[in-house]
Amino acid sequence: MFYRENGQFKSSYRADQQIFPIAQDRIAIALLLLVAFVVVPLGVSDYWMRAILTPFLILSLAALGLNILVGYCGQISLGTGAFMAVGAYAAYNFHVRIDGMPLIASMLLGGLCATLIGVLFGIPSLRIKGLYLAVATLAAQFFTDWAFLRIQWFTNNSSSGSVSVAGLNVLGMPIESAVQKYIFCLVVVVVFALLAKNLVRSAIGREWMAMRDMDVAAAVIGIRPVYAKLTAFAVSSFIVGVAGALWGFIHLGAWEPAAFSIDRSFQLLFMVIIGGLGSIMGSFFGAAFIVLLPLFLNQLPAWLGFSISTALASHLETMIFGALIVFFLIVEPHGLARLWSTAKEKLRLWPFPH
Amino acid sequence: MTRKIGDVILDVQNITLSFGGVKALTDISFNVREHEVRAIIGPNGAGKSSMLNCINGVYWPQQGSITFRGQTFKHMNSRQVAEMGVARTFQNLALFKGMSVLDNIMSGRNLKMKSGILAQALRWGPAEREELAHREFVEQIIDFLEIQAYRKTPVGRLPYGLQKRVDLGRALAMEPQVLLLDEPMAGMNVEEKQDMSRFVLDVNDELGTTIVLIENDMGVVMDISDRVVVLEYGKKIGDGTPDEVRNNDDVIAAYLGVEH
Amino acid sequence: MGFFLETLFGGLMVGMLYSLIAIGFVLIYKASGVFNFAQGAMVLFAALAMARFAEWFPLWFGFQSQVLANILAFIAAMAVMVLVAWLIERLALSRLVNQEGITLLMATLGIAYFLDGVGQTLFGNDIYKIDVGMPKEPLLVLQGSFEGGLLLSQEDLIAALVAAGLVVVLAIFFQKTATGRALRAVADDHQAAQSIGIPLKRIWVIVWSVAGFSALVAGIIWGSKLGVQFSLSLVALKALPVVILGGLTSIPGAIIGGLLIGAGEKLSEIYLGPLLGGGIEIWFAYVLALVFLLVRPQGLFGEKIIDRV
Repeated sequence: MFYRENGQFKSSYRADQQIFPIAQDRIAIALLLLVAFVVVPLGVSDYWMRAILTPFLILSLAALGLNILVGYCGQISLGTGAFMAVGAYAAYNFHVRIDGMPLIASMLLGGLCATLIGVLFGIPSLRIKGLYLAVATLAAQFFTDWAFLRIQWFTNNSSSGSVSVAGLNVLGMPIESAVQKYIFCLVVVVVFALLAKNLVRSAIGREWMAMRDMDVAAAVIGIRPVYAKLTAFAVSSFIVGVAGALWGFIHLGAWEPAAFSIDRSFQLLFMVIIGGLGSIMGSFFGAAFIVLLPLFLNQLPAWLGFSISTALASHLETMIFGALIVFFLIVEPHGLARLWSTAKEKLRLWPFPH
Repeated sequence: MTRKIGDVILDVQNITLSFGGVKALTDISFNVREHEVRAIIGPNGAGKSSMLNCINGVYWPQQGSITFRGQTFKHMNSRQVAEMGVARTFQNLALFKGMSVLDNIMSGRNLKMKSGILAQALRWGPAEREELAHREFVEQIIDFLEIQAYRKTPVGRLPYGLQKRVDLGRALAMEPQVLLLDEPMAGMNVEEKQDMSRFVLDVNDELGTTIVLIENDMGVVMDISDRVVVLEYGKKIGDGTPDEVRNNDDVIAAYLGVEH
Repeated sequence: MGFFLETLFGGLMVGMLYSLIAIGFVLIYKASGVFNFAQGAMVLFAALAMARFAEWFPLWFGFQSQVLANILAFIAAMAVMVLVAWLIERLALSRLVNQEGITLLMATLGIAYFLDGVGQTLFGNDIYKIDVGMPKEPLLVLQGSFEGGLLLSQEDLIAALVAAGLVVVLAIFFQKTATGRALRAVADDHQAAQSIGIPLKRIWVIVWSVAGFSALVAGIIWGSKLGVQFSLSLVALKALPVVILGGLTSIPGAIIGGLLIGAGEKLSEIYLGPLLGGGIEIWFAYVLALVFLLVRPQGLFGEKIIDRV
């Protein structure tokens, strides 16, 4: 009854091609942005912003980047952590080695470095696909693990690969407090989400999806597989690299290579799969799920009234995590985004059954 | 409306194609004239799809050459062929199952879209206008093929007959000069075949598109084609107008068998 | 020269250990087309079961003999692995039959996490010992040819022999038995195998059980050498390059791939390492696999990957 599209006729192609063609969706998004930009900073505790919302935003961004590569273009990547690391360490180098380098410039340049590495390790995708490509991307992961640990120049001669940043600011405005960090990340994420959404609904997005769905037919239409695959790697790595810079600079403040290990890569891939491959919104859903699940599992014993040792708790968490992954893949392989759109379709008919 | 059949636009010379030890095509030569409807027929396994795949650059023949508009090639390159104005449909429907009908047909316009990635990301002025212009063109194709109601549906969910139309639509979106159709009527009932024949003839009549058509339905072939090539076991056994081919002894033997 | 040979042998031995794990990968991939990321977790789980059962059985049943404990523990651990195989097939695989590769891959990752959690919940998370009587003293050979002789690890030598033995047993199994033939049919074409009456589900349980068996053997050998601890499941990540080199569908390939990776790792660490700052072992195997993927994706002995239009 509320979600009807009755009366919402589009009289131009431009209107039909908006990101949110249904008026109720536009209102919902506007409300969401209002809550995110205004209500949260005012009403939510520092702890929540620092420990939950900010990491959620940054990981959503990384998941978004990964989704472009895996979900839209169909190229498996298990090396996302590596590209985050490149983004973080490159941004770090620009930040400390060049006096007065603006934060945003460092981050964007970090992203560009990640792009270069991403394209390099994307070259195998021109010859191999599927699991073989996954193994190739693992090479990227392990190589960068080693590079940032052992090659002193990358870490400004820190012996263990750990670095730190301080005194961040944008155009004079400090990025120190929880609120400031949150808003900064929010702005970055919203901007990138918009750009990404534009890309996936344009010609390049269709090229990516064509490569994913049937690459032989794509060639016959005149799509260049090389261009499509490498641009997917490039755009994806750029976004992931910027996310990595955000993770290091804003969320962690000080980090070492282990922050971007293979566990991170798996985590991001889980986000994308559970959230929904080939869906911008799905990346956010997946990130929320993965970020909130451990918290939920942590609190559950307390709610249920018994306590268990921390070791046991963490084992149970791992167990339940794994089981939920499998459960999800069985029940809704297209992820939360599909569940969401199914729910919306039912909502369109509500209160009628069909 | 009368079509004037023009000069030879596509010339296939002595094509031999093998896979490992199996010869799919042996020394095939024929030509196609501009604006005509040329059918390729033959029993199953005759190599018809392989022939189209050679013209399209999907397979590279071991011997022979293909001349298109005066330029001769030892083998074709898919993208080059597409740029030169050759489009095709597939026997097993190579549609992008995850995309909507609209997006599938829009993907056929990709060759004509010029905006760079940054422009697309920002979606400002020229990029948006280009997208809208191509959308208008594609909508004309959607109208022509009468699939307006399905434009936002993911093609994987459509019935087979409609999917075939989307396949044709995507090929048409490329504004091709030569259209290669691989069994466009396979699996269709009589009404659907009539619709599809109408579409094919309209495209040939109104747009002057040259059609190279693989088809197993003899009635359709005899009705709509100007000339016919007959293949059997990778060899050419007949070439001429439908009437000539219909009365060719070899062709009859291939289809009906020989009395012993 | 002596040092080079020592390093080489050492590397070859380690390579055999990798192969032990890789064989499990190949088995599952051959028969069900699934890339089992959970193989490492299976190795750890099996090793944990073995270690703990060997510890508990004497306590529960009141006997002293270590040998008896080991035998019983082996049988019990094997039973557990068959149960695991059955559960995986029943709860996960059969419901994911038609999904794409990446979904299956992710599912095995989920299974890996689950096995990790369950293993440590059931069996505890300390470092445990496995004592199957492996000789710990090194062997000195070729004292005549080289000064001081070459130092070889007896343990590794036995591991190599066990791996070779496993390959022979599996080869016989696949070639000579009816079940083996059924497995090969399933590996070739699921639907065709089903249409001639091969029970797909049972075959998959058998395959995962055999993979579980090889995981148990690998777990015992590795556990005996390193102690049973969490990092064991990370060793499995080394097994991936091994199967890439050897070919995803070839068991002998897993051996050869393992030898190449093992030797290559050790030698490059010793000779290239100082030039590049050390720690090459982190990535050597993978970069080698990457090179292979670019040049010969099917590996040395795998089947050529054909893309059909």
